[in-house]
Formats: sequence, structure tokens, C-alpha cells
Amino acid sequence: MNKILLIIKREYLTRVKKKSFLIMTILGPVLFGGLMFGAVALALQDSASYEVLIVDKAGAISQFDSTGRGFESRFPGRFRYNEEMKINYSFLDKEIGTEGFKNSPYSVMIEIDDAAANNAPCNFYFKKLPSEMASSVIKTEIENAVEEFRVTGSLNLKFEDYKRIKVDIPFREINIEKLGQEDRTTEKAMVGFVFAVFIYLFIFMYGIQVMRGVIEEKTNRIIEVIISSVKPFQLMMGKVIGIGLVGLTQFLIWVLFSVIIFTVAQGLTAPDAIATQMVDHGTVTTTTAQLPVNPEANSAMNSVFQLIGEINWPLLIGMFLFFFIGGFLLYSSLFAAIGAAVDNETDTQQFMAPVTIPLVFGFIVAEFMIANPAGGAANIFSLVPLTSPVVMMVKVAMTGHLTMQMVLSMLILIATFVGTIWLAGRIYRVGILMYGKKATYRELWKWITYKS
Amino acid sequence: MRDNMNALEAKHIFKNYSGYYALKDVSLAVPKQTVFGLLGPNGAGKTTLIRIINQITGPDSGEVLFMGERLNSSHIERIGYLPEERGLYKKMKVGEQCMYLAQLKGLSSSEARKRLKEWFDRFEIQGWWDKKVEELSKGMAQKVQFITTVLHEPELLILDEPFSGFDPINAELIRREMLALKEKGCTIILSTHDMGSVEELCDNIALVNRSQVILSGSVKEVKNRFRTRTFELRHRGHAIDIGISLGPFFELLTNDKEDDHYVAHIRLGEGKTLNDLLGNLLNAVEIVSVQEVLPSMNDIFIEAVEQFNQTQS
Repeated sequence: MNKILLIIKREYLTRVKKKSFLIMTILGPVLFGGLMFGAVALALQDSASYEVLIVDKAGAISQFDSTGRGFESRFPGRFRYNEEMKINYSFLDKEIGTEGFKNSPYSVMIEIDDAAANNAPCNFYFKKLPSEMASSVIKTEIENAVEEFRVTGSLNLKFEDYKRIKVDIPFREINIEKLGQEDRTTEKAMVGFVFAVFIYLFIFMYGIQVMRGVIEEKTNRIIEVIISSVKPFQLMMGKVIGIGLVGLTQFLIWVLFSVIIFTVAQGLTAPDAIATQMVDHGTVTTTTAQLPVNPEANSAMNSVFQLIGEINWPLLIGMFLFFFIGGFLLYSSLFAAIGAAVDNETDTQQFMAPVTIPLVFGFIVAEFMIANPAGGAANIFSLVPLTSPVVMMVKVAMTGHLTMQMVLSMLILIATFVGTIWLAGRIYRVGILMYGKKATYRELWKWITYKS
Repeated sequence: MRDNMNALEAKHIFKNYSGYYALKDVSLAVPKQTVFGLLGPNGAGKTTLIRIINQITGPDSGEVLFMGERLNSSHIERIGYLPEERGLYKKMKVGEQCMYLAQLKGLSSSEARKRLKEWFDRFEIQGWWDKKVEELSKGMAQKVQFITTVLHEPELLILDEPFSGFDPINAELIRREMLALKEKGCTIILSTHDMGSVEELCDNIALVNRSQVILSGSVKEVKNRFRTRTFELRHRGHAIDIGISLGPFFELLTNDKEDDHYVAHIRLGEGKTLNDLLGNLLNAVEIVSVQEVLPSMNDIFIEAVEQFNQTQS
């Protein structure tokens, strides 16, 4: 036992003391946070300005202005200069053609003809692809104008009346078990998914480190010196545990960082901006168009706080630790066996696929669970031990309390990683002393069945 | 406990790797405080035997006794092993690494540090403590490995090709250290292809070939067994004289001129003694000196292996 501790200590310290660990630990959250906020910021902030020419031959949405020479919006209040996005609209009643557009100062040209009134496609020419945000603002503006044209032109209604009869009910979803609360299953599933991503990333990153470590010892030829002092199984477990602890350390530092950064950022920035960005970043392309002037920002922030309050954090974090450790033990022992079976990293491919495919698959299932939280596949794969560490995180965040299914999944995971470690240990103890032989699956089976 | 007890005894060891015998009924005894040469061609099964002694693998049948006790995991800390294929963690510092390996062998960290300091002084490598292993040359790394092997003062030391990679000066240093360790009571198993060092260092040998021990005993005894009754005779006289006067029962193998005399190699016939030979020559040539030519370990190795392989095929 003492020797395992020595091995754990060495594996842990040599990695934690590395510069790359320090860099990853500092850069990790910066990158992660940067990616998340960067995506939102990029979509929101657009330094480009747009000169939009709308060719409206039928005069559906435009008319002569007071001078009689130029054109203006037919509907007052529409097509104003958008200061936020720097979009300026102009109208023409005749086509200038693609060549004409090329030589014009306009950056976007849209042709509205009679057909547009029947939902036929309109040509949207551009010189440089506008940002998703800008193009959605422009399109929405035109759609609204055409809508008003149809309502006031063909139906002879007042647009205000039309707006009043247009049905748009904001449904509140309420779970009968939790009266007085809105159901936020999808949002919770997304929180769970973030944890699932962490488990997925950590198993991958640190599992491969286990494999590299084994290969290093093998190619270094230090392996024989070490296992004349300790049992191969002790060395394998020491390595797996030591590297797992490195992963946990990094995670804890990140959690600490995030809490600090979040708190500081909350103090510095307008709180509603952060909150709304966080809520909507998944569907940013369609909804954030109105964000900067969204009067509902405050309520969105409130719902974030409600969401945070509704999640069972002790359960989620406890389960995260369990499934991280369980999943890591399961996968990294397999990675250790792969490392033992080969002489160098390039030979690992044939064995990597069966190990990484279930992991990637679990990730995909978890992703689908956000869209369909109660799906049947989720129930199955949250029990399958190779996928449960990733999938279960989404389920835990969604459900919010311990279920029989979770207990069962945990028991299955424990049984599996015990079995896998045993199996990997048998491959490992033979593999680490084998050189120059390209191992096949048949060979591995032979190693497993060797008497000790 | 008897004084003449063996440090290590292997009894009828069998080891099978999926249908192929790596060791077949191997028995040997290594007396305490001796250097034991474990010889044999590549792939004969030496490494497997060494791994069994180090409990890296176990035998299919047979038993190994260490200091009279059946080999068990408590013996690991009393054995030191320098494998032929040896390495170190490249990115680790020399001192850290030595400390780690010493502690794996059961030394406390303070004891390990103290002993390491002594050895580093003795090998005059004090400045290496904070160097990374990847900065060391092969010979330098070998020195560090030797130290880590002997640091815990093992009662049994197993050295597999300890001299490879060393220049003659450092090889001599290792040789001296081995003999000093033996003086202190250590038993050494030396596996090597360098027959010169076997002659110089070993008290006993075992020759393993095709998974079996085909020859064993003390170096003296083995040499006697392979003596060819050949004598080297230095004489002054004519080349023809010696040929004529030898008679039918003596075979002249070579007779070469060296400075002012000849050196002849003569094999005695069946039932003849050195006295008979000298009697025949006394009147023919002037005898300067005479001594028996014993076979070198190199010759014995080759002859024993070739003989065995012929009888096998």
C-alpha cells in the first residue's frame, strides 16, 4: 500500500509540477469562458456597417418620399437606421442588375417582387457575407414590413388590429408535482450537459495521459526496474489514481476560478447583460437580435437565478465526482492496457477505436437529451457503463433527486470498473514486458488467460 | 542456519509460454557470498529465469528458495536487479529519481538521501543531483542505475550485462564495486556475454541453452572438465627435432617461433603423462618452460552449446 502511495505521489507531482499543467490550468477557464462569451460577443458586436438596397418594383413596402424623387418606407417607423448594427436602408423601384450592384456603394441588395407576397424566395445579394446577427435583423425587418403590407393591403385591416388578434400565448410549463414553479427541464439539462462535457473531456485528456505514461515507461525501459520492486498491478493503479488526482485538482482549481471570475464579472458588468447572454447563448443566432434593447432582460436574469436555485447542487456535484472517478477508472484502465499492448503511440490506433467510440457516443446521446430530455435512449445509455458517466450528468441535473435508476447505474458502473481493472491488469502485466511484437486481439486474449 | 547455505536455489523450474518452453526443468544453486555467472546464448531463457527470481513472473512449476526460504514478496527488498534493458524517467531529475527508486525498495527517505550522498561522493558525481536524466550520457545513466540497484544493500544482486555501455575505466570501477560488495557478504548473479569478466569475477557458473541448464559448477571444475590435456612447451631447438622425437602418442598442434625460442602446443595421447612427454623431448630440445593450456570460458561456452545442439538435432 505504501508503495502505491509512492507511485501515486510521483505520478501526481511530476505532472502537477509541469509547466504545461500550470498553463492549461490558467488558460483552460480563460479559453472556455472566452469561447462561450466570445461567441456571444462576436455575434453581438459587429464592426461592419451595412448599406442595404431594397429593390421593390411593386412598391409593396416603399413609396416616393416627399421630394418625389427618392423613396422611403411605406410604413412609418420601419427601416430606420439601426444604430446598434449600423444598417442603413435605401429603396429603388427598378432593378439595377447584378453588375449594377457590384459597382454600387451598397453592401447588400434584396429584390422584393410580387412573388414575395406569396412567400416565394427573394434574392439576397451581398458583397461580403453579413454576420448572422445583421442578416437576421435585415430579414426580420423586411418580413415584418411585408407582413404589414399584406395585412393592410390585401386584408384591409389596421395593423394595430391585426397585432391584437395575432395569437401569441406565452405558455408557462408547470410540473403538477411542483406547483408554483415553472418547469425548466431543458435549461437544467443544459447545465447537466456542461458537467457531462467536463467528464468527457477529462476522461479523454487524462485517460490518454495514462496511456502515454505506460508507453513512456515501456520505451524508457524503466518498467523492468520498477516491477522488480512493485507488482505491475500496483504500478498500474498508482498511475491511474495519480493521474486521476491531477485531473481532479485541475477541475477544482477551475471551479474556484470560475466562481471568482463570475463574482468579479457580476460586480463589474451590468448583471442583466451577463445573465441574458448566458441563458441565450445556445440559441443566439435567432433570439439575440433584440437582446441589446430587450426590456425583458431583467426577467431573464431572474430566471437564471431561479434555475441556479432549483438545481440540486450537492447531488449534481456528488454525482459528478462519482461518475468522474468511476468513468475515469473504467476508461483509464483500458487506456493503460492499450499502452501496455503497444511499443509506441502510433500503434495504438487499432485498439483506440473500441474505447473512444462509446465515449464519443455517450457525448452525442447527452447532446440529444437536451432536445428530448425524456427520450428512451437516454434511459438505456444512462445505465450502460461505458456511456453512463457522460449521459447520467444530464439526467441528474434534470431530475434533481436520487432515483433508483441512478443507484442502479452507479452499481453497474462499480461492477464494470472493477471487472475492467482486473482485465486491464492482466493485459498490462504481460504487455509491459513484451517488445517488438505487434499485439493482436487474439494475443490480448491469450495474455488475459495466462496464469500468473 | 548452516554457514554454507545457498543464497539462492532453483529447483526444477518449468515455464511455458503458450506451447513453448522458456525454461525446462532448470535447477541451480548459488552459494552465498560468491559471484555466479549465468551464461547462455541469446534467447536461451536467462531473462525468464531472472524474472522469476525477481518475482516479475512466476514459474509454472518448481520452486525457488531465497536464503533457504521459499521465495515470497518480502524478499523483494533484499534483492537488487539491474536489467539488461534498463532506463530511467527522462524528464525526472537524477536525485529525485534515485530517491523514488530507493523508496520503492523500502528505504526511508532520510536513509535513502544519506546513502545516495555517499554513493554520489564515491562515484564523484555530486553535481548530477539536479540534472535531468535526459542530459546524461549513456555511461553516466548506467552509473546512476548501478547505484539505484545496490543502494538498498541487497543480499542478492542480479546484474544483467552490467558492463555494456561503459568505457574501460568505468567498467573497472563497476568490477571493483562488485568485488567490494561480495567482500561485504553480497551474493551476485552475473549474466553476461563477456567471457573475460566471467573468468575474472565468477566463482561458479551455469550455462543455459535452449531452456535447459547444460553445464554448471565452479569455474575451476568446469575448466577441468573441458581440459584437452594440451601443454604449452617453450623450447630452443629445431622445429624438425621436436616433430621427430615426439613419437606416436603425442600430437603437435602448433610450433611457432617467438623471439629466440619456439612455442609448441602438444596434446597428450590416451594414458600418457607430462612426464612421458618430457622424457621423449629431454634429449632432443632445450626445454625453457612448460604449462598446461586450460580452455577459456569462451571456448567452453562455444563447445558446450555446439555439442548440445548437435545431440538435440
